[in-house]
Amino acid sequence: MIREHEGIIYKISRVYFDQEEDQKDLYQEIVYQLWKSYDSFDDRSKWSTWMYRVALNTAISFLKRDKSKLKKVSSEGLDNFKMEPFDPVMEERIEWLYKSIQELSVIEKGIILLYLEGKRHEEIASITGFSTTNVGTRISRIKEKLKRQISN
Amino acid sequence: MELEEMKGLWENMSEELDRQKLLTDKMVVEMTRQKYRDKLGQISLPETVGTIICFAMAAYAIFNFEKLDTWYLALCGIISIAFCLVLPILSLKSIDRMKKIDFGKNSYRESLIQYAKEKDRFIKVQKAGYYLGFVFSLAVLPVAGKLMRGKDLLLDAKLWIWYIPLALIFHFLFSKWVWKHYSSIAKGAQNLLMELED
Repeated sequence: MIREHEGIIYKISRVYFDQEEDQKDLYQEIVYQLWKSYDSFDDRSKWSTWMYRVALNTAISFLKRDKSKLKKVSSEGLDNFKMEPFDPVMEERIEWLYKSIQELSVIEKGIILLYLEGKRHEEIASITGFSTTNVGTRISRIKEKLKRQISN
Repeated sequence: MELEEMKGLWENMSEELDRQKLLTDKMVVEMTRQKYRDKLGQISLPETVGTIICFAMAAYAIFNFEKLDTWYLALCGIISIAFCLVLPILSLKSIDRMKKIDFGKNSYRESLIQYAKEKDRFIKVQKAGYYLGFVFSLAVLPVAGKLMRGKDLLLDAKLWIWYIPLALIFHFLFSKWVWKHYSSIAKGAQNLLMELED
């Protein structure tokens, strides 16, 4: 299951960090945490909801943790961490997209990521723990913030 | 770029990412190995603590053995010491053997066969511990009574009337609980090996 959704883990890693080394560490940590907490996965809840929740929580706690204390999983498996390049125009647009998101706060990053993933407000609320109305308000604020960034 | 435009770009990128694979078999095997060891660690920790307690009890009985001044107290002492020394070692050894299975090197089939073999050994040790544990609970009381209070409890018939049924009930309930707990951990470890096949 993790293999099927590894693209999501990659996107989360890139949203939270701009340095490749940090992205790689976070990617490994998310995979490890998903693997470790799989026993607690309740079949009644949706797999993707659970996965986003674990991955985003890991990303947030990863930002606060002393990385030297992290339980390291072999990094050999991730030697070629960079994804195959897209066409140059798209590559540039994607780079810009990630940069814009990285300007946002930690919570905003998580919410916008879920929004871009096509999640409905209710689903974002259930993953993040905010109320649906609060999610709506936050998304509007993020839209404004991004607009200001673009105009600058 | 508007947010909706961003969403479109994100979708295109996601489709492309879904076609690319980063997670390698090596990483999956490495993570399974760590998780498997963590699972068995849940068994080996209480076993290690139990072993330390048993060794301390055995050492205490050995150093005070001369106080067991009748043949039947000496016999109870020997049974208790042997139980405290041999069984924990056998148990820890069988857990260690399960921990040592290297499914990074072995094939999936080899790992499962080896795991089944080691698990069988572990179950046999636990079963032996179950039956001998009851004998131990009978043998250790007179030894403790003599060494700690200087009393020969084997001569106290009243004590045995309530002690034997109580020891039986406690032993049955405790063993049942331990067995249930260990079985679920061992099953979890086995399931991890099975996941490698997916």
